[in-house]
Amino acid sequence: MKRSVSNALSLTVVTCIVLGVSLLLIAMVGSSIPSSLSSFIRGIVGSTYSIGEVLVRATPLMLAALGVSIGFRTGFINIGAEGQIYLGAIAITWLGMTFPSLPPILMIFFAILVGFLAGGVWSVIPGILKAKFGLSEIINTIMLNYIAINLVGILVRTSLKDPSYPYPMSPILPPASYFPMLLLPTRLHAGFLLALICAVLVYLLMFRSSTGFCMRAVGLNKRASMCSGISVKSHMVLSALLSGGLAGLAGVSEIAGLHHRLIEGISPSYGYLAIVVSLLGKNHPFWIILSSLGIAALQVGSMAMQRSSGVPTSIASIIMGLLVIMILARKQFFGYREV
Amino acid sequence: MNPVTLTLVTTFLAATIRMATPIALAGLGETVSERAGISNIGVEAIMLSGAYFSFWAMFQTSSVVLGLLAGIAGGVAASMIHAVLSIHYKADQTIAGLALNFLFLGLTSFLFLIQFGKTTTLPSIEIISRVKLPLLNRIPIIGPALFYQDSFVYLLFLCVILLFVLFYKTEWGVILKAVGENPRAADTAGIRVNMVRYSAACINGVLGGLGGAYLSTVKLGFFMENLTSGKGYIALVTVILGRRNPLGVLAAALVIGSAEALQIRLQTMGSLIPSQAFAMFPYLVTILVLLFSIGKSQDPSALGVPYERDKR
Repeated sequence: MKRSVSNALSLTVVTCIVLGVSLLLIAMVGSSIPSSLSSFIRGIVGSTYSIGEVLVRATPLMLAALGVSIGFRTGFINIGAEGQIYLGAIAITWLGMTFPSLPPILMIFFAILVGFLAGGVWSVIPGILKAKFGLSEIINTIMLNYIAINLVGILVRTSLKDPSYPYPMSPILPPASYFPMLLLPTRLHAGFLLALICAVLVYLLMFRSSTGFCMRAVGLNKRASMCSGISVKSHMVLSALLSGGLAGLAGVSEIAGLHHRLIEGISPSYGYLAIVVSLLGKNHPFWIILSSLGIAALQVGSMAMQRSSGVPTSIASIIMGLLVIMILARKQFFGYREV
Repeated sequence: MNPVTLTLVTTFLAATIRMATPIALAGLGETVSERAGISNIGVEAIMLSGAYFSFWAMFQTSSVVLGLLAGIAGGVAASMIHAVLSIHYKADQTIAGLALNFLFLGLTSFLFLIQFGKTTTLPSIEIISRVKLPLLNRIPIIGPALFYQDSFVYLLFLCVILLFVLFYKTEWGVILKAVGENPRAADTAGIRVNMVRYSAACINGVLGGLGGAYLSTVKLGFFMENLTSGKGYIALVTVILGRRNPLGVLAAALVIGSAEALQIRLQTMGSLIPSQAFAMFPYLVTILVLLFSIGKSQDPSALGVPYERDKR
């Protein structure tokens, strides 16, 4: 009882501070606060299209954050979702360009498979290095992010380049690789459903299966897990594989649902945002659905606010940074600890 | 060598040093922090903050000294947020660093846009000019590259020597190492662990802030959103490659700087190899170096672990 009261109190304090700072920032710009706020909210729920935009933006965040959460639960701090997203995108582009005549069902199936594997490999490398040799996954995943981003830069200029265009991008992929659209005229695509399915699957794996139990045990206490006969290394590597695989799916979904071709910068920091989403969602799949929608709404709303009230979109980044800092501080400040 | 190649070598060396200076400064700061056991992946935020606030102060006052002081203050402020979170609140240092990056990426571009966003021309400042050291700059090849540079480069060399002496020749260096390796033993020996960690974080802020200030006040003369664009992460690379040794950090920064200088040179020459191949290079090397150092970990034992005095 006492804990839930202090928990609610601390959440209220965090919310108030973040709201206060946001209002202060809007006032600093010199825009009217009521009209800015109303444009923010209309930007999120004002029309079918704007709701669709929120869901479209939530899709890669949710998929990548689900991956990040599996890693966090197992004690694998995956900062590399950004790179794993790009690897998934490379994989589906390669598939579409190499086997353009596959029927849609097979194409989508293989796209999901190779995307998952490509992202997974990108994350299993630091996973094995950590599990077997004790190398810090934090530095390795960050390095692999930059390697992946540069790899995309090289590929769209060389082997995956569209020869008929002077710009660095791949040709348009065959329509068989497209995800079905869900709600025209919005850009909402089946990737969102994929993300929801993945959330359920991650829940079943992590909280309803013995493998998930072992993975969480490894995350909580490596030594105790080892002593009770759980293989720490193999669960660590498995978690890294799944973690990267889900981020890879985010890359597949961005290409198959939105861009239909590989370009540079398909992920505006989705991989780093996913860490924030996972943290806000307490590393639990169902809360992650909510937090990814929240972060997506924050971004989409702030874009609308920039268009109509001139408040820079960077306000979204400030709010997120502040939110995470407050939550990190809250754990100690209110004697609250996550179990 | 004929005079043309000679000039080419000199300009290449000079460009290398200019590329290396900001990342080496920030890398040195992070080295101090990590030696004390605080791993801060928010170097990017420290540099951005330093870059913005030094630009802002120089634009307002056109005073170099005030600009640098503001840059340092900005860097220290960013670093201190991380320090308080990781030392006082015992928060996860990686997440805190990440949050710092988001906060300062947003904050600097927000402040920049509301102050300068209404003008159509890019607001700029006069960049800090170079200083020619008498006599030394007459040395062939390296003279003009090393001794006709801006004051930051000389400051960098000074910092490397100073930190080297501090780390390996003074008691302060031993204390720093003790706090990073075994904070409990250090505490038992009467060292105030958290004070040492706060001061290390402060030094990180000063050097990282200067590194960022270099970008806006020496290299570019203007500020824009996400000015550092990953330089902070490269600074982390120099810390790993340089094995947390000031000379090593400088060497790593010079290697990365030369890769960047080469990349720019090849681009202007119209090379067929995409520039990304060179940009990728330092990151690949970092992973390889980590691979080859398996089993002989150089990390301070208490890196990233908060010190809890009342716990066993």
